[in-house]
Amino acid sequence: MTENLYINNTKEVYDAIVIGSGISGGWAAKEFCERGLKTLMIERGRVVEHRKDYIGENKAPWQQPLRTKVDNLLVKEQHQIQQQCYAFTDATKHFFGNDKDLPYTTAKDTNFTWIRANQLGGKSLLWHRQSYRLGEYDFNANKNDGFGNDWPIRSADISKWYSHVEKHAGISGSKDNLENLPNSDSLPPFEMNSPEKSLQKKFAELYPQRPLIMGRTAHLTKPTALHLSQGRVQCQARNECQAGCSFGAYFSTQSSTLPAAAATNNLHIAPNSVVHSLIYDENTNRVKGVRVIDNDDLTEREYFAKVVFVCASTIGSTQILMNSTSKRFPNGIANSSGVLGHYLMDHNYNAAASGDIEGFEDEIDSGRRPTGLMMPNFYYKPDSKRGFLRGYALAGRAYREGWQSLQHQDGLGVDYKNKLKQAGKWRFGLYAQGEMLPRFENQMRFHSTLKDKWGMPQIEFDCQFSDNETNMMIDAAEQAEKMLKAVGLKNVSSRVMNGPPGLAIHELGTARMGRDPKTSILNAYNQSHDIPNLFVTDGASFCSSAVQNPSLTFMALTVRAVDYCVKELNAKRI
Amino acid sequence: MKEYHNDQSNINETNINTESRRKFLRGLSLLVGGTVATALVSGNSLSVAMAHSLNPVNVGHDLLSDGKIFPLKQLKQLKSICAIVIPKTDTLGAAEVNTHGFIDNQLFHCYEQAEQEKMIQLLTLIDEVATKSFSQSFTELSQDQQFELLTALDLGKENFDEKQRADFKSLKKLICFGYYTSEVGASQELRYIAVPGGYKGSIPYKDSEASWGSQGLYY
Repeated sequence: MTENLYINNTKEVYDAIVIGSGISGGWAAKEFCERGLKTLMIERGRVVEHRKDYIGENKAPWQQPLRTKVDNLLVKEQHQIQQQCYAFTDATKHFFGNDKDLPYTTAKDTNFTWIRANQLGGKSLLWHRQSYRLGEYDFNANKNDGFGNDWPIRSADISKWYSHVEKHAGISGSKDNLENLPNSDSLPPFEMNSPEKSLQKKFAELYPQRPLIMGRTAHLTKPTALHLSQGRVQCQARNECQAGCSFGAYFSTQSSTLPAAAATNNLHIAPNSVVHSLIYDENTNRVKGVRVIDNDDLTEREYFAKVVFVCASTIGSTQILMNSTSKRFPNGIANSSGVLGHYLMDHNYNAAASGDIEGFEDEIDSGRRPTGLMMPNFYYKPDSKRGFLRGYALAGRAYREGWQSLQHQDGLGVDYKNKLKQAGKWRFGLYAQGEMLPRFENQMRFHSTLKDKWGMPQIEFDCQFSDNETNMMIDAAEQAEKMLKAVGLKNVSSRVMNGPPGLAIHELGTARMGRDPKTSILNAYNQSHDIPNLFVTDGASFCSSAVQNPSLTFMALTVRAVDYCVKELNAKRI
Repeated sequence: MKEYHNDQSNINETNINTESRRKFLRGLSLLVGGTVATALVSGNSLSVAMAHSLNPVNVGHDLLSDGKIFPLKQLKQLKSICAIVIPKTDTLGAAEVNTHGFIDNQLFHCYEQAEQEKMIQLLTLIDEVATKSFSQSFTELSQDQQFELLTALDLGKENFDEKQRADFKSLKKLICFGYYTSEVGASQELRYIAVPGGYKGSIPYKDSEASWGSQGLYY
């Protein structure tokens, strides 16, 4: 790694600026650097070094003063929002944002949970690592039912870029040959336990159109020579990933894209640099660079480049565009269409079902598998009789109960202790991951007066699930309960919940792609319709949410956009 | 896991550490080759990944002064309750690993005031019923009497109603959390593996065996 990897002030005009260092930013930087372009990655937060800064890693609960929990006082003062995330523990809390510095508001009678990870690596350190390609029906969904605009790309446009990122990142999973869930270029899947294998078989008999597959996840089940050469080794099944992984066994910026980018000597990183706005030259109709506010001392500085890739997360990227105003773009740069900030989406997790599995008492699983099973969306073909548009996937796993479940029973003393010592019954559950329709009224906008400490206007969310999502979750709970009973589970129960959008942490849309510059921000290559040297390649660019976890598609869209951008630069069209 | 969980008497922190480290290194060498394995282990990665050090909460061990939530008298009472709920068997029980000190500390740092007060009131109630029924404070009762009283509370019978029963379930949850996340509870009473080395879907299990103390702790 170069000594001067991290910079602060510089007059250099870079070939490319990449705003953000998470999943999208890491990929953009790697691809630019490997094509020989001098690249500046801008990160608003602090530096997190691989291994060295994973301070919560591999600590047994008894080695943590509060045994994995976080002090109330700290939560109240700094993490009221962030603590809603399932991964927020004492071992991970330093990778979540400080809510006191990151205020936002929500419109009356609405709610939105915004999870932040403002440090080098961003949410690539904290993600759940589930990795799925979008299918042809997903790219066609908006066109078919008229909600949202048509995706300007199809599977054929992106499949080789999925392969490209999968091979480098390392995605484990089976080749399931499904109509709407393309196979990945994958490493071997994780093993199923015996009850899961048995359920898989029963589902195949009773519901041939609803296969249960092993969850595809960005973990090295069998590292290739490339992975080993990067210092990444096989997943050890600790499932404490969000604390950071010194084995480099899951994909993160730190484990995968950053080392590759840095090895080229073409990379500089400007940490602690909160991007305030893009610098726009009206005469040339190009962005010239970015204006940043120092994270710590709030001083201003500027960085310059020939092209700018905005990869600051869905909300973050759009916030920067909205704050970049000029005579030509009074309502946010690249926003001649007026749709910037609109069509905000997340996934909906508001349905679940679970039950007991009989038998298999003479076995248990070993290790903590960092993924579960997935029943991919079986409603991918439109059907007007269904009562709602689009569909959902169901995720779940089988596990034997431990003391956490058994403690609730009556009893005291030796008997009680001995009962809690032994493994309990096997359980299996499914929870829904539903698609959310792209709707104009679901949006992020600037609060009329409030600003944050860096002078950025605060975001006001106005975003709600509609009846379509609610009806879908009612169906998901019904279907899941029906199926679990049919495959022989006992004591099956299901539930529909009422969680607000945001907490799936799959924010999507707000600077969507499209064929028509009048109704979209970006073209088929994530390039601004209005400004040729401006690209947005993260979740902001999505036209629909599909049901798949979106990060793998962030990666593929990003590398495809870089490839296109470099060709355009070489052809002097940018 | 067999190597360091079969013989309970042989278990201590150093043994687990050295043995699992050796075993892990062996596996890692097969996986990535000796040179890479050594480089990984000599670097920061494994010193971080394998670092184990004891860091116990000391409040309550000596029982000489008030805790952060409970006055000394109630800390002593809580220790007796811990001993009844999860007693010493082949392995130490909840009282021996200072679960009462843990609860005092945990309530102070991780719970709302209402929950803290609920626990103080519950201990007061238990003592009142002890005095009413046996004319002695809870800690002065024989273990059989303590067991009898807490069983009635656990079932919401005799002197106790459903609300008080629910409060005691909350206390039991705290005792269980404290015990099964302690080193003894997680790694001696149950089986704890810091670095499993991979996932196996199925291994044999007999009812008499200890379950995992290293599952379901994080996400």
